[in-house]
Amino acid sequence: MSQAIQIADVTKVYPLGKTEVRALKGVSLAFSAGEFTTVAGPSGCGKSTLLNLIGCMDVPSSGEVFIEGKPVSGLSDRELTSIRLEKLGFIFQSFNLIPVLTVYQNIEFPLLIQGKHSVKERAAKVDALIEEVGLKDQIRQKSNELSGGQRQRVAIARALVTGPRIVLADEPTANLDSATGERIIDLMKAINKTHSTTFIFSTHDPQVMKHATRVVRLKDGLVVEG
Amino acid sequence: MKSADEVKLIFQVAFRNLWLYRLKTIVIGGLLGSGAFLAVLGLTLLHDVEGSMKTSIIDSVAGHLQIYSNKAKDDLAVFGSMTMSRADIGTIPDLAPLHDEVMKHPNVEAFVPMGFDMSMISRGNELDDTLDALRTALKAKDPAIVQNRVDQLKFQLSQLKRELAEQRKIMADVKEVEEHEAAIAQVEAPGYLDGITLADEAKLQFLETKIAPISGDKPPMYLYYVGTDIELYRKNFSKFEVLKGEALPPGQRGIMLGQKVRETQLKNLVARIFDRLEKRVVKSGVAIKGDAENERDAADLPLQYTQVMSFLDRAEAADLSAKLDAFGIKGEGDDLIPKVTAQLKSFLAVDDGNLTSRYAWFYANIAPKIRLYEINPGETITLRSYTRSGYIKSVPLKVFGVFSFVGLEDSDLSGSVNLIDLVSFRELYGQMTEASKQELADMRASAGIKDVAQENAEDALFGGAARPDLEARTLEAAAGKTMAPISVKPSIPDRFDTAELSRGLALDAAVKLKDPTKQAETEKELAEALKAKGFDVRIVDWQKSSGIVGQFVNIVRLALMFAIIVIFAVALVIINNSIIVGTYNRIREIGTMRAIGAQRTFVLGLFLAETGITGLIGAVAGAAAAVGLLLILGKSGIPANNDIVTFLFSGPRLFPTMRWSVAVEAPLLITLAATVTSVYAARHAANVKPAEAMQEKE
Repeated sequence: MSQAIQIADVTKVYPLGKTEVRALKGVSLAFSAGEFTTVAGPSGCGKSTLLNLIGCMDVPSSGEVFIEGKPVSGLSDRELTSIRLEKLGFIFQSFNLIPVLTVYQNIEFPLLIQGKHSVKERAAKVDALIEEVGLKDQIRQKSNELSGGQRQRVAIARALVTGPRIVLADEPTANLDSATGERIIDLMKAINKTHSTTFIFSTHDPQVMKHATRVVRLKDGLVVEG
Repeated sequence: MKSADEVKLIFQVAFRNLWLYRLKTIVIGGLLGSGAFLAVLGLTLLHDVEGSMKTSIIDSVAGHLQIYSNKAKDDLAVFGSMTMSRADIGTIPDLAPLHDEVMKHPNVEAFVPMGFDMSMISRGNELDDTLDALRTALKAKDPAIVQNRVDQLKFQLSQLKRELAEQRKIMADVKEVEEHEAAIAQVEAPGYLDGITLADEAKLQFLETKIAPISGDKPPMYLYYVGTDIELYRKNFSKFEVLKGEALPPGQRGIMLGQKVRETQLKNLVARIFDRLEKRVVKSGVAIKGDAENERDAADLPLQYTQVMSFLDRAEAADLSAKLDAFGIKGEGDDLIPKVTAQLKSFLAVDDGNLTSRYAWFYANIAPKIRLYEINPGETITLRSYTRSGYIKSVPLKVFGVFSFVGLEDSDLSGSVNLIDLVSFRELYGQMTEASKQELADMRASAGIKDVAQENAEDALFGGAARPDLEARTLEAAAGKTMAPISVKPSIPDRFDTAELSRGLALDAAVKLKDPTKQAETEKELAEALKAKGFDVRIVDWQKSSGIVGQFVNIVRLALMFAIIVIFAVALVIINNSIIVGTYNRIREIGTMRAIGAQRTFVLGLFLAETGITGLIGAVAGAAAAVGLLLILGKSGIPANNDIVTFLFSGPRLFPTMRWSVAVEAPLLITLAATVTSVYAARHAANVKPAEAMQEKE
């Protein structure tokens, strides 16, 4: 399996008033393509920081992050944004749908930003994913008319619509009841299998963790397992 | 495809956000809409006002350009300064060379010499008027009219006695009152007035010098006038219109009174108060009750009954009393004077209910009995002026007619101007005419006056020549020669040679242009040409020469711009604030967009689009409302509700003309400006970090 992401001796330091918080203290990890990995650990252990760095939403204080073999340090905001658009998909704990848009429009959003697909191509991609996540009857609804589980399905479809090789999910089940959470994880797993998409998701729910093919445990900014 | 899709997406999201936050959208759109409304309406009206006012000023007195001396201490103000004081604008000692030089310019249509100044007219009182009428009647030797005048005089004397009786009650020292009463008793004695003839000069002079002054003089009045070459003036100032009498003929001394001056200063006070009330109550719709100015006038009206009474003789008083009886205002008692006085006072007590009918009744029944105007065409008035050398110069001038400027009939500003011939103007200004120079030379010759140099003065005064016997001449005068009839006929000729107009003094000259669009160039070229020829003069355009009046448009424009800027500034503060506050509210949404691949420019574009759409909808709606209003006003006209507005509108109504360029450009500019100025706040939103998407809700 090829390497999707490599993290080499990454530290991340945040200023906090006159002191500093060392969120990551030299983390080295590699994620292969097609992995279904969870990053686990207690609150404040550095899970979100690690996902932000992998997701090119932040840059490390030292060390290097490689996305599909290419280092991201020194890239401009525009270049990092392009990587997020083309190579990565994101699923958020609070779903983060754009409230004024319908289910269909939310899913179509990244394709429109990409601006490289015809209307027909876009429709084909969006329709296929809507079918896949089981929201065929809700395509004209706004996000606030949906249940939590339905919203997260929209978010999953949106994350996948551009065909990213890597999907990052920040506690995707935290705001869902356990049964719904279970179904979301099943959906993610199914997609991981059918599309060979790399999934890296954070959680501290042991029920969710057991679905992962690999568990990376963090504690106080250091990798303690995985 | 990329940009088209992105732009489409931006507008799609922007529209939906505007709908989602519709209260904010309405507030901002409303503010920008008011700005656009005000801009379109204000700028259109301003343009119309500027155009109409320009016509008013140029075609009434100012011309396109005015030329006056560079030695002027004050600025030229053709409608007079606000303080109505005499401005020192210097003089142009000889018009001819200036005229010739100015007329050389190909764009100059006419050069009209002028001078602005003011003089006093003494006005006497009602007794003076009656005594004048008596003298005229005596000369005409018509016993019926003489008797009528004598009756009127007796009637006025009886009123005067009543006034003195009132004065006696409130005065500590009654000596003067007693003297006056004694004088009146003397003329009321049987046989004094009855049967009076022209031969009774002593009696007439006693009446004129001892009795008439008891009634007191009206305060002197100042007349502001422009002295000019009337023929040239009429040809070039199209707003000039003769309302009564005739225009001043060429080569004729005389004066034409401004209609407004006559109506507001020379009309009978009762009529004036009636006019004011009728105008404000009936035409402007301001009720008497509750309006301080109207209430003051209504309270003042009954106190002015003497302004009617003093014109009545016994027969007319009896007639008026009977008519008032018929009108429903009953008098009590048999004594006519107290009876008609009470009736008149009661008639003059007006309120909102009776004003219209009493106004009409006054003009139908009372006005014909009184002298409605102090001065009428055909009469001669004497203007008295303090010349620039400090002495008083009196010039009697025949009133030829009454004029106004078309469309400006109600305007106080242009209505304050009267018109006299340039030759009389020069004389009042202190410059001698050819005729008066000749007259003076004759007088000097006949009196044996010779010029004395300072060094020989002592010799000339106290030298060998005999002193004139001044004492004897005074006594001779006292011995009774003053009893000869006084000639009031002006001793100066009432005609002059029109050639005098084109040479000699003027204070300024109005220049009319053939092509007014080239005014600025012509002004510049004339200034250079005149300077090169050594003329020490200033050239100003109509706007400057009309003083504060001409500046009014600029003031209004500034006020309008200020209002638009304030509205706009408020709108911008709100827009920027709402974007910044909105950024905090929408931080996760923005972060999410950024996280899933939206560039900063997308977010920037989204926020600018939101402002732009709000601005465009608001401003277009505001402009459309203004256009609608202007189209309605274009048909119905905007009434001028006071004199200044009448002047600005150049008539009683302004009919705005739609200027589509303003209606299109103003909302677009407002939208553009709002969008551009919201860049700062939009950049703030674009700087939201994608990691903010990870932040959880509180």
